[in-house]
Amino acid sequence: MLIEQAKEVLQIEAQSILGLMDQIGPTFKEAVAVILKARGRVILTGMGKSGLVARKISATLNSTGTKSFFLHPAEAIHGDIGMATPDDVVLAISNSGHTVEINKILPILKQMNVKIISFTGGLDSPMAHHSDLVIDVGVEREACPLGLAPTASTTAALAMGDALAVVLLKSRHFSKKDFRRFHPGGSLGERLSFKVRDVMVTDNHVPKVYLGTGIPPALNEINDKKMGATLVLDRDQKLAGLISDGDLRRALTRGDDIYRKKVEDIMTATPKTIDENATSAEAIALMELNAITHLVIVDVHEKVIGMVHLHDLLGREGFKINGQ
Amino acid sequence: MDSSRAPRGLMVELITPLKKGGIDGPGLEKLLARVVPHAQGLLLAGPRHGEGEHMEMALRHELLKKTIDVLASRPLPLLMWVSGHTEAQTRENILSLQKHFGEDRPKGGLFWVDSPLTYHSNRGLPDYYRELLATISIPLVLHNDPEVVHTTRTFKRRNIRTAVLKDLVQNEGIAGLIFSGSLERAHHYQRACRSRQHFRLYDGDEKRFLEHPSMGGVVSVGANLAPGAWNIITQSSIQLHAHQENYPDRLQQIWESGDYLKNMVGLYGPSPAALIKEILSDMGIIRSPDMLQPVEIDHDAIEALKSLMRDF
Repeated sequence: MLIEQAKEVLQIEAQSILGLMDQIGPTFKEAVAVILKARGRVILTGMGKSGLVARKISATLNSTGTKSFFLHPAEAIHGDIGMATPDDVVLAISNSGHTVEINKILPILKQMNVKIISFTGGLDSPMAHHSDLVIDVGVEREACPLGLAPTASTTAALAMGDALAVVLLKSRHFSKKDFRRFHPGGSLGERLSFKVRDVMVTDNHVPKVYLGTGIPPALNEINDKKMGATLVLDRDQKLAGLISDGDLRRALTRGDDIYRKKVEDIMTATPKTIDENATSAEAIALMELNAITHLVIVDVHEKVIGMVHLHDLLGREGFKINGQ
Repeated sequence: MDSSRAPRGLMVELITPLKKGGIDGPGLEKLLARVVPHAQGLLLAGPRHGEGEHMEMALRHELLKKTIDVLASRPLPLLMWVSGHTEAQTRENILSLQKHFGEDRPKGGLFWVDSPLTYHSNRGLPDYYRELLATISIPLVLHNDPEVVHTTRTFKRRNIRTAVLKDLVQNEGIAGLIFSGSLERAHHYQRACRSRQHFRLYDGDEKRFLEHPSMGGVVSVGANLAPGAWNIITQSSIQLHAHQENYPDRLQQIWESGDYLKNMVGLYGPSPAALIKEILSDMGIIRSPDMLQPVEIDHDAIEALKSLMRDF
């Protein structure tokens, strides 16, 4: 009996989602276009369980490349509505469309020229009338008796939110790299919390040549160590410079006869360095700021103790610790 | 064709107050005063509990006329069961009622309710309705209840086939469907009706509505006895108005009302109209518990119902 009841609930909820397939249409397409065009953020709002659904959709949008935040309708009335700007798009969720708190803030948002999209089953409701676009998330049947808690209707709204987020993601050509960037709580987050000393390559894994060396040995070192660059050291093991693929390319473009040159002729004399105790996140930020992919780690005596590539920080062919 | 939208919410399947030779007018008035403030619509002469199956046309006329008169100052959508035993009889019933009430129809709206499978097979049903609706001006609400269909060699099915319903829904003259049957069939019907945004699907099974409410609403005979409780539960279940007061014990009240109605539905047994009439008669609302077709009364059930109502 219990299992049968549970199956009935699941069947009703599944039907509510399947029903959306017939309800989805040109308005959904317009909603996607409005959000893609917006320069601001998508502001989710809803009360009670619709508010919880709105929070989840907001989180999904943020994870998939659409800037979003949740605005509590009651707090909005008491001043938080100031967080909205005309560049934003509001996505309001209410199954009935009669939620008083939402219907109080929508006219104000409309006055602010904020575009309003609503998810509702109440197509003739005040909320629908306040909205620029109405996406029908109405269901034919609720799974919970007596209206004690919305069930199928919140499931439907949540599923429609997922549909919106995924379509936006695809429309934005959101990449795996972007996804990682927005998921610091996942494995990348773990990586970013590592110290540079934990991920840098050290000892014999560091590509290095000495001042006075010709270019061919430097090229061999770059190829052998597979870091896309080699350090140039002086006799005291102190950092004198760095030759990257880019330096070689620039020398060739200038028409230099690189086979006759020494490393000091084409190297970058002041490569960026970082402390071994800095975090991977700080290292990435420094790389992004200078548009580079390598950092050198030196001790207090300016002696080289390691080198790190962007891929070591983000994880290339699996995450490596000290190049291993 | 008038394509008015069918109402949404609590449709009370009115028991028919009878006196010798006709409708008990004062009883009807008192009963309407009891249920109307809580209802979004009324089903008159319903085939099961309104005794429509056994009602002559003259009596249906009288019932509709008296109801319209009582409701002159309180417009409420009326759903009137019109089916006959044959296609021709049904058409005749509709045209006869339309002649009297078509021009001067009630302010709240009027819908004919038809149970097609009581006289017509699934085959050719969409064509039948296309033809019928071309001649009438009042929208129809279909009624699918396998319990009122008596299968014969010609009419093998007790339910409208889903594919047939899908076709019927395209007809703007059909505004809704009162459905009783399995949950699985309910899902199929829902899918069949999705192409029409305002097509109403009512639960004809009170028990089903109390478990998994249809957003169109419910057709309830129990609301003759407990209109207030049915109203609370319907409002809560389908969020008819979101301005529901959130007083501290609202959920408790819903639980209690829901339990009360579930127990009540459980006590009706096989003959709700007879039992309800007995109680309403005892309460002095209707003149007598007379039925068009006498049924055996379960007196224990009546006592249990009375006790339940007293306790609530």
